[in-house]
Amino acid sequence: MDAFSEELMGFVQKDNQVEASKDPVPEIHLPWLSQHIQSTGSHGQKGTNFAQTTSICLNFIQEALLKHQWQRASEFLQCYLQTLEDINSQKRQMAPEISLQHALYLLHNGMVEDAYRNLNQAESWRYGEMSASQEKLIKLIQAYRGLLDYYTWSKKRTEVSSFDMDGFATNAATQDMHSYFRQASVNLHEIIKIPGVWDTFVKSYVEMLEFYGDQDGARQVLTDYAYDNNFPSNPNAHIYLYKFLKKEKAPEDKLISVLKILHQIVPSHKIMLEFHMLLKKSNKEEHHKLGLEVLLAILDFSGCTENITAWSYLAKYLKQIIKGKHREWVQEGWSSRKDWWPTFHFSYYLAKKNWKENRILALKKAFTSGILLGKGCKYFMYVSKQGHKIREKSIKTMKKFVMKHNILDSEEH
Amino acid sequence: METSFISSCLDCKLLPQNSAPFTKNLGLLLSLIFLSDPWDPELMSQDLLFRGRVKQPARAKATIDVIEQLNHFLWDHGDIAFGPLGMLLQENFNLGEKKKSRKNKMVMNTEWLLRDLNGYQPKGCPWAHLSTRQRRFSLLGGTVLGEEVENLLGGLLHEELETRWKRLLLDEASTGGALGWVPGAKPHHGQLVYPTGRAHDQLNFQKVKLSPTNEPQALGDPSHILLRGPVRQVVTRTIQGEALVAVRSDHHCALWKLEHRGPPEPLQVLEMEKEATGISLSPHLPGELAVCTRSGAVCLWSPQHGLQQIHKDPETFVFKDPSSWRWADFTAHPRVLTVADRTGLRFADARAPSDCGELLFRVGAEASCQRGERVLLAQYLGTPDPLPLSPTLHLVCTQFSLYLLDERLPLVPLLKWNHGLLSPPLLAQLLPPPYPEAPLPLLLGGLGGHLRMLHLSGSGRTPQLAAPPQSLPSLIDSLPGFPVLEPHGQQLLQERLRAPLTGLAAVVPPGCPSPTMLLFQLSAAGDVFYQRLWLQPDTSSESAVSEPSAVSWKPRAVACCRRWLKTLLQVPPTLPSWTPPTFSQHHLRWLKEENKGKVQEGLRAAMAEGRLLLQGDLAPLPPSDPPPAHEPFGTEDKLSERLEASWERKGAIWWDGQRDGSRLPRKRQSREKRRTQLSSSFSSVRSTSDFSDVNSPLPHPPKTPSPLHRMSETSQSLELSQELWVKNIPRERRQTLRDYLAVLPSPDSGNCSIPQFQNPSSQSLSTSEPGKCSVPCSQNPRTQTLFSPLPESYSAFYSQNPNSQSLYSQNPNSQSLYSPEPAFNSVFHSQNSSIQKLPSRHTPSLAGSQPLRKKPRMGF
Repeated sequence: MDAFSEELMGFVQKDNQVEASKDPVPEIHLPWLSQHIQSTGSHGQKGTNFAQTTSICLNFIQEALLKHQWQRASEFLQCYLQTLEDINSQKRQMAPEISLQHALYLLHNGMVEDAYRNLNQAESWRYGEMSASQEKLIKLIQAYRGLLDYYTWSKKRTEVSSFDMDGFATNAATQDMHSYFRQASVNLHEIIKIPGVWDTFVKSYVEMLEFYGDQDGARQVLTDYAYDNNFPSNPNAHIYLYKFLKKEKAPEDKLISVLKILHQIVPSHKIMLEFHMLLKKSNKEEHHKLGLEVLLAILDFSGCTENITAWSYLAKYLKQIIKGKHREWVQEGWSSRKDWWPTFHFSYYLAKKNWKENRILALKKAFTSGILLGKGCKYFMYVSKQGHKIREKSIKTMKKFVMKHNILDSEEH
Repeated sequence: METSFISSCLDCKLLPQNSAPFTKNLGLLLSLIFLSDPWDPELMSQDLLFRGRVKQPARAKATIDVIEQLNHFLWDHGDIAFGPLGMLLQENFNLGEKKKSRKNKMVMNTEWLLRDLNGYQPKGCPWAHLSTRQRRFSLLGGTVLGEEVENLLGGLLHEELETRWKRLLLDEASTGGALGWVPGAKPHHGQLVYPTGRAHDQLNFQKVKLSPTNEPQALGDPSHILLRGPVRQVVTRTIQGEALVAVRSDHHCALWKLEHRGPPEPLQVLEMEKEATGISLSPHLPGELAVCTRSGAVCLWSPQHGLQQIHKDPETFVFKDPSSWRWADFTAHPRVLTVADRTGLRFADARAPSDCGELLFRVGAEASCQRGERVLLAQYLGTPDPLPLSPTLHLVCTQFSLYLLDERLPLVPLLKWNHGLLSPPLLAQLLPPPYPEAPLPLLLGGLGGHLRMLHLSGSGRTPQLAAPPQSLPSLIDSLPGFPVLEPHGQQLLQERLRAPLTGLAAVVPPGCPSPTMLLFQLSAAGDVFYQRLWLQPDTSSESAVSEPSAVSWKPRAVACCRRWLKTLLQVPPTLPSWTPPTFSQHHLRWLKEENKGKVQEGLRAAMAEGRLLLQGDLAPLPPSDPPPAHEPFGTEDKLSERLEASWERKGAIWWDGQRDGSRLPRKRQSREKRRTQLSSSFSSVRSTSDFSDVNSPLPHPPKTPSPLHRMSETSQSLELSQELWVKNIPRERRQTLRDYLAVLPSPDSGNCSIPQFQNPSSQSLSTSEPGKCSVPCSQNPRTQTLFSPLPESYSAFYSQNPNSQSLYSQNPNSQSLYSPEPAFNSVFHSQNSSIQKLPSRHTPSLAGSQPLRKKPRMGF
């Protein structure tokens, strides 16, 4: 019996930060378990050992903070700090992390210099042997220090460029700037080698490299950041690369290949409209076909249902495709959507709502619905009826086109 | 890396400045069902754990007391434990049958053994006599019986205890919550959807009117739908003007469409072989649902297109975890779902069901998870309305932390916050901003009633915590607002307020001059509480003096709480769910032939009605002689009366009454007194002098048969047995007996005290009982349990809910829930007072009478 309960209950308080993927996998840890047991086994007696006192004190602090009783919290915090003075080394090793959080808080409140000092102190914190997790933490602290160096660097840069200074002053300022660049680049370069999401760090680093004319270095950093398989999938990495290449005036094929990957990761990104235009302009037919898919994929997402640009692009492109005798592309794109787009985009409710809120959107959607669902579609019928009432000119041409070219009727032919 | 979990103070924050977890008429109305259906907290850790010395107080360690449980099991369910073995051994034992001859040496006659046992269990009795036969039998059979039970049942019991204990620590069935809010056609109207009933199988639709300044008002009474299983989760959603309610039970899922008028329209019901663990309604397409079961299957379900399985994997995603809990929700793409298990979250594409989707979250290093951390809840935070937040956000809750993830940036959480809840966070809700450009409140509810509120801001960018997170008052925090009660009442109230939180629904009423938030909470006891939170300008920087989290009570709320409390205290205490049958087979087997037919009839009747077998069904007991009982001090037991009165604090009144009453009829009283004294002394003299001439009944010692005691044994079969007694009793004693009987409550009131524990819900429906006749309005039996002392809500039912009769058609029993008679309140009170006078009604007659009979015997 005891083995069972040991196994069920046994949990180790030590080393909380160990990742769960380690073998053997521990049982689920329930923080409220001890309370459960205490209420049963203690018979009202509460143990008063030191560890318990501190944990109770910590609970009080948390409770007071969550109830926004700041005064009370600070009183408890004082007691807590007193009790912590003689605590084991393990807790003291937490100090860098606390410093980092404090620095971030200071940064958030615009106290950059204090934050910098804090990070410097945290970096030089030594207590006993450094554990692996602490090593990572120190790297992170260094990276944030690098970020602050970059911040100073960019401030200096605007100073240098905006003020008319004599040669000597400019020279000194540039020297100063350069030293900041060196400090920052060492730390930033270190952190972006570790797999992770380092958007701000990468952007800062690339900006500095670009400033000093190291285009190849910048491109390399961005390419690694986007294509390294060890890194978690990150759409921003591809966007940074695309923007960099666009600025460089890279060939369109290259741009398309970058955006193709982004399309696979985040088809709803607003840059996809740009991607559509790129594909439309391209000479290759497969790109033209992809252009339709890109538009349809944007409109699949709930955040983009009322994106008027996407709808007008789609209406225009459908017309172009049908005129260009590529009706099968439309049918292909439609086949995976025909069971849910009608309710998602072209319901009677939405027709009424769109017509009331945004007439142009309603017209564009009505045209698309007419092409995809035929003239019997509720959305199309409602909008064309309403348009007829107010004698909207475009209605007639729209109706005519839909009658002739909708993909339903052409299937039957 | 989580870089954004530093919070900053915004200008405004939601504070419970003037909130009160009061219960208004809502709490009242909703708890009504429990008058006929008392809630009990069922299993607690105290019931399972070993309560001995805790060896290591520093380390929490639970030991499940299997031996004690096995002991209880053997005592309480001996028929199950030993029955099969008995069947095997039956051919070697003669239990009184005539066919088995004694010639067969393999057959042992047990008649004497059983007679020794005589139906009494000598458990714990130091004077229990063991005959040599019994000793021999237990020595021989003990090992066989013990081993079998231990081997076969021990394992099963162990397994059962393990699952019970796990469920006690983490009851995952109520994940997602069973309270839903459906906004109505008018901006300040809506409906609450929630289950009640002991089995949580009654789904209620309660119309509520919100007010910018006053308390929300329940419009009429809820309409009910009785379901076949317990409601675990209620999900509501209004898409494209269509209000839908989806309900998850253990093996059924169902979908209703709510019309603004008329009853909810059932759309479809899904039956599952394996237990369903999660259901969610699509925020994109009306009527589309995601359902998942313990088999690891996730299906997309819509009434139009039916079921489509899009994922099936009995194994967990990241590492092996024994839990078969699964959860499914939607994403920003209507054809892509998220599937969660305890180890992570994964995308599942409905267009390519066979594909194994990418992981969105995993318990591991990316999110810097702790050891033993597991996913407890996952929720998609996007809605069809354009929110200030990106529609790609997902919430993941573990027992330690809360994570916000963007589906475009999988695995690395955008935000991590240690919620510090001391119960599993199984409820979460993101609310629209209280005013334009305000941060969005995100509520987190723990099963233990703990609540947290966060404020999320950040349009288009990474979401951030705006303003410090807050802990909201939980139900138990409202305890000081109630009047001080006597210990029993206090405990009842505490238990009730501590009931697990099984539902959470918050509403931000649109168009309020000062932004407020209404928070409805459903407890497992079936109460719905609410509190109102006002948005308060940030004052923390200047004046730390004001206590922002002070909870204030409005007078109306206090009054309402008192009413609710009053009804709560009138709920009869819960009866033990099962009482072991203590009548012995002895009586059945050796019954005389003429009684057998009667017994069988009684048995059949009880079985047909599905109720517990009562002593009355088995014909009167053979006349055995009860021990002498306490005799009252004369016909008028003044001392007890006075004590009783002073106990009820009516001592002075009793005294006054006594003084006034004693003057006039004193003479007559004294005369009567003398007569009874005489007669009793006479009878007692006679009984002793009878010694010589009574020959036959003498195995029975000549004690005075005490009818008083007899009454308590067979109170319900009084009428029957009375005549029999009269036949057996010498004529001289009959007068004494009648005098005694006169002291006792009349048979009618005795009937009133028949416990109806067999079927608690039918208690109020049995109009045919004679005891009920004294109550007016017996046409409306349920009024006693379902009442509304509030005149306004009562009239509201008739004026505003004219078509609600049709609502009840689903549940014919509830049609008589309301009584239009003005005698309404008095009905309620009279009924309850009768209950209070007769505390004996809670003792199941058979089991309950046993101790009375047994106790005096101990000394013999």
